[in-house]
Amino acid sequence: MASTAMTSAGISSEAPRTDFGRVLEQRERRFAAALLAPAFLALLATTTFPLLFLVYTSAFRMDLAMPFTNGFVGLENYRVLLSDERFWSSLLVSLVYTGSTVALQVIIGLALALLVMDMKRGQGWFRVIAILPVVLSPAVVGMIWRTFMLAPEFGIVDFLAINAGLGSKNWLGDPTLAMVSVIAIHTWQWTPFAFMVLLASLASLPDDIYEAARLDRASAWQRFRRITLPLLRPAIVMVVIMRTMVALTAFAAIFTVTAGGPGTATEILNLYAYRKSFTELSIGYGSALAVALLIVTIVISGILFAMRRAK
Amino acid sequence: MSGQGQVSFRNIVKMHGEFAALKGVTFDIKPGEFFALLGPSGSGKSTTLRILAGLDAPTDGRVLIDDKDVTSTDARDRDIAMVFQSYALYPHMTVAENIAFPLEMAKLPKAEIAPAVKDAARKVKIDHLLDRKPGQLSGGQQQRCALARAIVRRARLFLLDEPLSNLDAKLRLETRAELKKLQRSLGVTAVYVTHDQEEAMTLADRMAVFMSGEIQQVGTPAEVFARPNSIDIAGFIGNPPMNLVPARYVDGDVIIAGHRLKTTTTTAGERDVVAGLRPGALRMTENGLGGRVDLIEDLGDTAVLDLDCAGTMIRVRVADGNIPGEGDMISITARPQDIHLFDPATRMRL
Repeated sequence: MASTAMTSAGISSEAPRTDFGRVLEQRERRFAAALLAPAFLALLATTTFPLLFLVYTSAFRMDLAMPFTNGFVGLENYRVLLSDERFWSSLLVSLVYTGSTVALQVIIGLALALLVMDMKRGQGWFRVIAILPVVLSPAVVGMIWRTFMLAPEFGIVDFLAINAGLGSKNWLGDPTLAMVSVIAIHTWQWTPFAFMVLLASLASLPDDIYEAARLDRASAWQRFRRITLPLLRPAIVMVVIMRTMVALTAFAAIFTVTAGGPGTATEILNLYAYRKSFTELSIGYGSALAVALLIVTIVISGILFAMRRAK
Repeated sequence: MSGQGQVSFRNIVKMHGEFAALKGVTFDIKPGEFFALLGPSGSGKSTTLRILAGLDAPTDGRVLIDDKDVTSTDARDRDIAMVFQSYALYPHMTVAENIAFPLEMAKLPKAEIAPAVKDAARKVKIDHLLDRKPGQLSGGQQQRCALARAIVRRARLFLLDEPLSNLDAKLRLETRAELKKLQRSLGVTAVYVTHDQEEAMTLADRMAVFMSGEIQQVGTPAEVFARPNSIDIAGFIGNPPMNLVPARYVDGDVIIAGHRLKTTTTTAGERDVVAGLRPGALRMTENGLGGRVDLIEDLGDTAVLDLDCAGTMIRVRVADGNIPGEGDMISITARPQDIHLFDPATRMRL
């Protein structure tokens, strides 16, 4: 034994050690897998399975009002969907809602962050107050706006509009104003998130490059355009991605304020799928709508992530 | 575009709350001069530079550039270029874009910018790195990029805030020499902040020595070295620094550790003084101030001896040929003109 070890020492002395290392590594990996398993199974059961079940359901006609017509229909739901005008209009509402709320959040959030950065005192207070809307439940926010802010004559917004000489408006009854209102509500609630992220990012930018830029004779606007914006780009893109995904699947705030109305003026795709499934009880078609929303979300976030990687 | 580059500080005060960072600083810089602001950290030299650049406003006093009061002029409008200690490169721009930035801000036509950028980069030898981002450069290359950005637009004043302090020792010596040549060839007025007396001595035409918010001396490096104004400057300039030992002045002579030495300084009567003796100005002699060699630091061509003269520590620089052994008793002397006398109370030169 000893002699073989000696003769082969020069050639294969590494072999037993790597072997041992491999066993150890394997055992460690198995242990890690065991630790991971419960969480993994729970996730599988609560996210992956419902998702697959949704796709499965979308291939059926499942109408609780007319159960005798139920059965497998393949891609029939999707064919109907593509020629469903209400689907296209709700998709458009979704895109307008998402695009405008995200743009407003970034612009207002950035403006606030720039403003607060220059505050000598009270920054801490401002942050605490600003974060309040974020911690509220969207349903509560919706209720507050519908009653306290937008109610005709008694709501604060309407009161201000009357005093500004615009007259009382039907904020949630007029199709255009209703859309503006739900966009404003979402923006009001989530701008603080963009504000906090961008403020943190701004605070991490070094002072010296701004001093260098001043000496290089850049104006305040040029410093913003050429230095601040490019350096904030990763944070802005991150905010856009996160907020887009949430806005595309928004539900509670709109549901409590307008429930998609008047008519279908504020009916985003998510809400349409909900109405189809649980109001009209056409669960198969509702599932197809939900799958369509999923595809739209994946495509848009894919594009955003690709943009993030580019340059 | 470029003016003369003449600078005057008139009684500049800078307060940070109760703390006076600058307590009334006055000096003049001549056009084309390489002027160093030298002092230990916290002495106010960087504050002075920032006030000159227009990045900070003085609490009181006036700043004049080419005889024009610019005290309340923004940094943008002073026509000053600066190299920061941190280099302050724009991290999202390439080297070429960094160097081009001041020209773009000056609304130079694109056709003129490209050759100017190339030219500046060539002057500091980074023309092969133009497409890199600052994060991909070494410290020395970043420093050169910052230099190029500062020289590209030929401002009337060129400020350097400890530009060599982040470089390693060898690179620092190389860059120091190049910096001097560069300034000469551009013929621009340069103001250079450093805490390294050797840098100031080798680079500057003239220098201002800062001590706790005040200028204690302005002069050429040779003048400051030969006739330091105060105990603080004497202890700051020179390597190893001047020996500062308590002594007694008795009409024309100074008594150090019981030994009497002639001096050229004349002051009234008999009094306590602080005697300053440069280690290099001391010579071994037959019959002088005696002491025991405590420690020898051999530097190759010279050696520095720590001499214990009856309890007073004196450092002596001797040439290679005649280094005594540790523990030996030797005796030293100095020429009368090499003995500096200071008032122990006011700390100023007598």
